Amino acid sequence: MTLAGRMRALGVLGMNRRNGVYTSRWNQRKHYPSVDDKLETKRLLRDAGIATAPVLAVARLHSEVRKMLRDLDSYASFVIKPAHGAMGNGILVVLERDGDWFMRPGGRWIDRRALSYHSESIISGAYALGGQPDVAFAEERLSPHPAMREISTEGVPDIRVVVYRGVPVMSMTRLPTHRSRGRANLHQGAVGAGIELDSGVTNFAVCAGRSVAVHPDTQQPVVARAIPDWDRVLEIAVRASDQTKLGYVGADVVIDGEHGALVLELNARPGLAIQIANRAGLVPRLTAVDSLVRAEMHWPERIALGREIARRARAGALA
Amino acid sequence: MNRGAALTGSLLVAIGLSIFAWKTLVLNLPVLPSNVENLWRVELEIDARGSGQRGSVRAALPDSDSQQEIFDERQSSDRLVFTIRTEKGGQRTGVWSGKFDGVHNLSHGFRVQLSEEPLPLPTDVRKAPPKEIVEEYGHTSGRFPSDAPEIRELLANVAPPNPTDPLGQMRVLLGYVTDEILTASTGSDDALLTLAAGEGSQVGKARLLVALLRAAGYPARVSAGLRLRADKEARETVWAEAWVGGDWIGLSPSLGFFGARPPDLLALRTGSSTLVEETGLDALSSRYRVLRESLRADEVASFMVPSNPLLAAISLYRLPVGSQSALRILLVFPIGALIIALIRNLIGVRTFGTFMPLLISLALRELPLGLGMGLIGSVIALGIVSRFLLERLQLLLVPRLGVLLCLVVLAITAQSLLGRTYEVKDLFASVLFPVVIMTMLIERFSITTAEEGMPSAVRRLAASTAAAVCVYPIFRIQALEHLMFGFPELVLTVMGLLVWIGGYTGYRASELWRFRGLVTPREEEVS
Repeated sequence: MTLAGRMRALGVLGMNRRNGVYTSRWNQRKHYPSVDDKLETKRLLRDAGIATAPVLAVARLHSEVRKMLRDLDSYASFVIKPAHGAMGNGILVVLERDGDWFMRPGGRWIDRRALSYHSESIISGAYALGGQPDVAFAEERLSPHPAMREISTEGVPDIRVVVYRGVPVMSMTRLPTHRSRGRANLHQGAVGAGIELDSGVTNFAVCAGRSVAVHPDTQQPVVARAIPDWDRVLEIAVRASDQTKLGYVGADVVIDGEHGALVLELNARPGLAIQIANRAGLVPRLTAVDSLVRAEMHWPERIALGREIARRARAGALA
Repeated sequence: MNRGAALTGSLLVAIGLSIFAWKTLVLNLPVLPSNVENLWRVELEIDARGSGQRGSVRAALPDSDSQQEIFDERQSSDRLVFTIRTEKGGQRTGVWSGKFDGVHNLSHGFRVQLSEEPLPLPTDVRKAPPKEIVEEYGHTSGRFPSDAPEIRELLANVAPPNPTDPLGQMRVLLGYVTDEILTASTGSDDALLTLAAGEGSQVGKARLLVALLRAAGYPARVSAGLRLRADKEARETVWAEAWVGGDWIGLSPSLGFFGARPPDLLALRTGSSTLVEETGLDALSSRYRVLRESLRADEVASFMVPSNPLLAAISLYRLPVGSQSALRILLVFPIGALIIALIRNLIGVRTFGTFMPLLISLALRELPLGLGMGLIGSVIALGIVSRFLLERLQLLLVPRLGVLLCLVVLAITAQSLLGRTYEVKDLFASVLFPVVIMTMLIERFSITTAEEGMPSAVRRLAASTAAAVCVYPIFRIQALEHLMFGFPELVLTVMGLLVWIGGYTGYRASELWRFRGLVTPREEEVS
């Protein structure tokens, strides 16, 4: 069989099909702003009673940057983000501070001027999708749950759940590495570990395109690890996607040591690498959701459906 | 692919191809232009301004002769009356007359087929000129003072009359005026002043030569016309003509021809050096626009014998010269979009921006590929270096981009100052536009470098450049340009293909590589 034929048999979802069949049909353009603007997402989720990372300060104009930094004076660590950033671009993490000096991951120190320059670049739109004027905001720096801490370095691991028509279909955890400079992006060198939806246990992991069993920095096993508070992770991921009116969403959840599971952000164009981390194709699961989901299903039923589909997919009973 | 896209695509492809087939098979239009050499479209554009008074504009109109064939003449008269006046010697003049009120845009266009055949010099040189030619072109006058003592003296010194070899004598006179009198655009138009100063304008030199020829006993006159050059402004030129052996032959002290006119010279007027004149106007400006053409033989036929108005009406070749050259570029754009769609959606190459590669290749259209790549390379290298230096200054985004733009402009200016000449028709068209594109490219590159690291940024840049190189040829392939220009209905076919690609939901070639780990046997687990 040809390579493409084998991929089709496995149900691997390609970019053209994701765009042409799923996102174009289920994610209407007019609903994008609710997820492309992170502050808007937070407002939406807060209204629905879903936990998000607390916002410490906001700067909408260049003139507000000074005030934002003043508001941050009482915090030793925080994260500055663009409201319209994509793929983790423009995110500046401060781990520690010493007066007007701030330490970034990797032990690099920057001064207050550099921090204010970065915030102003954000507001000018340097990291926004279309280069339009943006908003900079500071978020509390989350601390990884103890169970996740030993399999991540320099950053906070998150859990990506792809939710299709309200049903969770696939999930992975993204573990930052030294090589990814603390970021949770697979293409920058983070570890991606597929999670079995029904059990909440990781079953496979890749890093930089290769299968791995341990975290490259800590040497701790990344496979066969139970994600803490898994039921809660699925619940907030599904309920968050319900708030967006989007049918094909990637929900990023962080399990914070203090606040527990909270939604970091939502994505209307979730990437396809999750299939590599799970060593499974999305298409059979999406097709199963199309035939089994009912409009009147509430979120607990949909989660149960997603877990059942994932179990059957692994058993080879789908497609 | 969904049914709608498949159907719409097929429909568009079918419509485009069937019109194409109808034109080629039923109407017998050749797919590519037949090899027509030295065919030109010339258009005289006149802006005439008046304030309500009566007046006229007169322009020399060309005639067909043994060296040029004029056809498909058209003119616009913009509220005035256009008439053609034919003088005694056969010279035609187009006259726009009436009340000039405000600005009138007048034009006269035609096609000309210039002969490449060398014309032999007359052999029967002793044949006496007819009486009316001698009367008209043999006498002395203010413009051609053949009786002036300086002229007589010069003639006696340089080329004493030689009844057995008039051509030789003419050649010597031509050689004298060509070599001993300098050509200066600021020089005099007067024959005697030109002789006295040792330099003169093209007109001055031509008049001096005519005076010398008349003094030597040959009927002579000045003629004026245009040098036609592809993609360059047509230049007016003036030369002398002498009657010998039963016909007029040309002698040009500025272009240096003797006998037949060179194959790029269009004769517009005989007996005078003025091409466009006016009376009673406030202001007048005129210019000639020239386009080299490769008409299909059947189209030439349809213009010369307008028996097939349908064929003529659907030809873009009938448009004014200016919009033709713009349309030629415009009509290959869809092909570029098609290639970009192929590269991005079927192959899956990540480039900077959607149509950035198309813009890059358009920007480099006028340059040879090597030079274009060199330009990109050097400009980008400079941009990257200065971008990282600018990073230290911590400037805001828009001013920073502005500074970058200034640096790119300076770099290109420096390049031309350092003697790097671009063999292009218009430095502005080929440089101004690229400057903006290059600046955007540099900015994207450096942001990607900061965000995703240098390797990723270099990969994207290489992919963008490679895509631009793939698109680049379509702007250079003449045949493609002719194909799209001659058969614009093919745009529909391209649209259909784009709809097909848009409806394709299969894998991209790059995804076969990306997801290869999913389909290969699980050897890693074994080890």
